[in-house]
Amino acid sequence: MKTAAELKFGETGIIHEIDKSHPSSRRILEVGFTPGQEIELLNTSIFNDPIAFSVRGSIIAVRKSEANCIKIL
Amino acid sequence: MKSEIIEDSPLITLVGPPNSGKTTLFNYLSGKNYKTVNYPGATVEYSISKLQKKFNFEANILDSPGIISLVPNSPDEKVTIDSLYSHPRFGIPDLVILTIDASQLSRHLLLAKQLLDSNFKIIIALTMTDLLQRKGYNISTSELGKELKCDVIKIDGRTGNGIEQLVKSIELNLEKIKALGNNLPKQIHNNFNVEYLLSSFNDFELIEKKVTSKILIEQKQINLNKANRQLKVLNNDLVKNNYLDTTTLKIDNILLHKIWGIIIFFIIMAITFTSIFWLARPLMNIVDTSFGFLSFSVHNFLGINWFSDFVSNGIINGTGAVLIFVPQILILFLILGLLEDTGYLARGAMLVDKPLSKIGLNGRSFVPMLSGFACAIPAILSTRTIPNKRERLLTIFIIPLMSCSARLPVYALLLAFLFPAKESWVAGLALASIYILSIISSTVMASIINKFKNKIINAEDNSSFILELPAYRLPKFSVVLSNSYHSAKIYFKKAGPIILILSSLIWFFTYFPNYNPKINSSNLSQEKVIQLQNSERLSSSYAADLGRFIQPVMTPIGMDWRVGVSLISAFAAREVFVSSLALIFKVTDSEHKLQSSILSEMRKAKIEGTNKFLFTPATITGLIIFFVFALQCISTLAVSRKETGSWRIPIIQFFLFTFIAYLFTFLTVNGLRAIGIN
Repeated sequence: MKTAAELKFGETGIIHEIDKSHPSSRRILEVGFTPGQEIELLNTSIFNDPIAFSVRGSIIAVRKSEANCIKIL
Repeated sequence: MKSEIIEDSPLITLVGPPNSGKTTLFNYLSGKNYKTVNYPGATVEYSISKLQKKFNFEANILDSPGIISLVPNSPDEKVTIDSLYSHPRFGIPDLVILTIDASQLSRHLLLAKQLLDSNFKIIIALTMTDLLQRKGYNISTSELGKELKCDVIKIDGRTGNGIEQLVKSIELNLEKIKALGNNLPKQIHNNFNVEYLLSSFNDFELIEKKVTSKILIEQKQINLNKANRQLKVLNNDLVKNNYLDTTTLKIDNILLHKIWGIIIFFIIMAITFTSIFWLARPLMNIVDTSFGFLSFSVHNFLGINWFSDFVSNGIINGTGAVLIFVPQILILFLILGLLEDTGYLARGAMLVDKPLSKIGLNGRSFVPMLSGFACAIPAILSTRTIPNKRERLLTIFIIPLMSCSARLPVYALLLAFLFPAKESWVAGLALASIYILSIISSTVMASIINKFKNKIINAEDNSSFILELPAYRLPKFSVVLSNSYHSAKIYFKKAGPIILILSSLIWFFTYFPNYNPKINSSNLSQEKVIQLQNSERLSSSYAADLGRFIQPVMTPIGMDWRVGVSLISAFAAREVFVSSLALIFKVTDSEHKLQSSILSEMRKAKIEGTNKFLFTPATITGLIIFFVFALQCISTLAVSRKETGSWRIPIIQFFLFTFIAYLFTFLTVNGLRAIGIN
């Protein structure tokens, strides 16, 4: 299964689950990355990190290492 | 602050996620033109005010930093959450008003649920319903109120519609609480675990489906067509508000572009710093001329005596030499405010996160570092938005190296000495290099400290960067303008008294005890006599005694006691260096312009007891280098102590930066001399 960090520019995916062992998983959930939500990779920064996703109608930037805990179907 | 609060009246706390219109609501309720922020996490302190008189009942309103959950992730969030459970001064809020962005309902309901589960009495202020309507949806406040079992009021942030109803609801709720008694809130953080979050979000999606309804096509056809052009529809399974502002997406495609984004970032930073110099120039000349003229007239009016000298030299020139940089501070605050209000600062933070993380910092260090160019004190306070403790301490550590605006008058004077007015563009270029040097030195310092992280900064936790990028919007120019005015005013309220006291002290120490020296005045013009008296009085003054004591430290860097005294007085505030030089070199009224008279006195000055010029390109460059590194600001040390929780970091900062400053000044002065530049 791939993670949100592996999405390509403009690619969308549906969140399958959040890796609860990741220390940032709670904050990831709190900002709205929950299973079933569709996300799109909107922008990447220099060196491809951090990356910005659309989720629940807003844009959230996260580090790649943190996007790794978002599992995509 | 104290006068703003009415004891014994109810306390209403405003909470809400960043960008949910919380501060706008605070402005309406308090009637003050407080800041509305577009950069998540810009309110780092409380604002407290009483309810506007026109609402006819008394209550205190507390505004605090935005939060997205009752589980804190950073110190600024902890401030808000702690204040909810019990504010150190105001106690437990009687009522909580929660602002929720209607277009982000499912994300923002989390806070509502947590507050209700913790037993808080809340009213929901629903904002941005116009945005939701543009997306083609209506929201029913009564349905939402039924679901959540609390009052829900629509608020229009632009027009203020709904404020009256909100106040009515506050009044009714307070009466009910008074009659029934307020239950104490429960601190149940441990219950807000991952399972709680997952099931909550499921509930929110159901609630969202229930309370929102699609606006009928017939009614809204034209609007909807327009909306579809403006908004990008991601998901045709409507109900979910998965729409983004296309304008924001288009702008982001450029501003966050891998190549263009970086180029534009550097251009924006370059414009920011050059405009501080260029735009302020004419305004500075006005301040300069008027204070020079004032000092001249007062001196003429009061005659030649100690009082006249105190007023014209001690007070007027001392203050004028510092007030000259008001325009520069104002412009810097103005530009920072504009960048913040448009939503660019969050993008800037995202762009620099990777490079900053390499040296142990965080993208969230960007705004504090940028504010450090205005003043280290608000900059250190704003590091509270950095969740990771080690990154926060490291950011605080290097902030004093950012070239703050208090250094500008010093640089302005020293650069004007090096480069004649005709070549002001060279001075501008030199100033830009000083800024670049300050950026380089702070990053090098950060990476060195990061290497020794466990020796100097002992803290380790999860490094994280999760930041909402708000939709771009046109900045409200009037708000930004009044904000920069307020920031500058607060800054000068703090700095003003210190400057005045120090100017008076320095004047005293340079004027006494031998205030009326005997001069053999035969065959000399009156002007010559005054000049001789001035220099005789100074060289036998208290300041001279102190200066001679520190002379051994000053000699290796090619300077004499007079510069030493100015450097010591600059520890109170850097800008005092300029007024202190003006006093020590007895700049009087030979010309009407303050800065140019200081310069002409400096050009004449000789190292005491020798025939060598004191100020040469080498020593002036050395002084600039000194100011780049030295931590000459007592307030910064005090704030650093407060925010890091001990004296450890401020003491290390002070000695390390002063040592580096002295070392590099020594190397610069002697290095320049060695290659023939004197």
